[in-house]
Amino acid sequence: MSTIERLNQFSHRIFNTSQNEQSTSRTSNPFAASNFQKNILTEDVFESSKAKQNDKVSFTGNLTASSKRIYSTFVGSINDMGSKFYEGIESIKAIYGRVKDSVINTWNKIQEIGNKEVNVNINLDGARELLTKEYHIKDIASAIVGGKNREITRMSKMDPHSEVKPMFQQALEALEADMVMVA
Amino acid sequence: MNSNMMKNNKNFNKVSNIIESLTINPSPDSVAVLEEIGTNSTIDEVRELTSRALVRRNEFESLSVVIENRGKGINDMSTVVAMSTINELLSLENKEEAMRVLENTISSEHFDDEVKENARSVKALMALS
Repeated sequence: MSTIERLNQFSHRIFNTSQNEQSTSRTSNPFAASNFQKNILTEDVFESSKAKQNDKVSFTGNLTASSKRIYSTFVGSINDMGSKFYEGIESIKAIYGRVKDSVINTWNKIQEIGNKEVNVNINLDGARELLTKEYHIKDIASAIVGGKNREITRMSKMDPHSEVKPMFQQALEALEADMVMVA
Repeated sequence: MNSNMMKNNKNFNKVSNIIESLTINPSPDSVAVLEEIGTNSTIDEVRELTSRALVRRNEFESLSVVIENRGKGINDMSTVVAMSTINELLSLENKEEAMRVLENTISSEHFDDEVKENARSVKALMALS
């Protein structure tokens, strides 16, 4: 038998399994579909498939050669999927490695910062300086308000006619002049 | 000059401080100065500050200036000044003196009908508040 003939037979066995299955297709025995030369399980030990004959889906009957090639292509693609799956696993492993490294680095940094805050008071100088600056701003604001209040209190003790009135007139004239300039 | 520019103006702040000092100055002459200079100012914001200062003094003389005088306080031509004065009157904790001045204005024959009408309206508002 030549190699070509053997290949044809092999191809025939692969793509024409329905001939062997026809004798066992009346059962729902999954082993019956196997390409055994002799039926080991002759009895239908499972639920009878006769009642469900109409609903039965055959994966082998009435398949054209082109359909079988398409299915074989599909099976081949499953193998490719397998290799892609392994590639995916590899990439996941790589991502996990990177995430793990990142987490470890972050954790180390957090610990480093925490240790600095707890152990070394000098490192809190920046925060302390910031707080001090905030207090400076508050001091300035209170100084402005305090200055204004002091001025008002001082003027409130002056004589209204002889002291405050001239100041009032002068300030009002200056304000009117400002308004004319803006206009 | 808008209100923001006015508030940032150095001279306006000086005027404001002077008015504030006259508000707490115990001398009765303060009312005369506020009336003479403040309420006669051409600047609405200054008239507004002066009217509110006169109300805050919560004295018969100071309240009379902003209630009985045509063109001043609640009778000001500027709606902002008039409304601001009314608001200040409504926010007084002790309204007795203000009510007395308002009743006096309403019942007196010396004042314009417009002044009386304004006084009546403000009295009604104060009674409700």
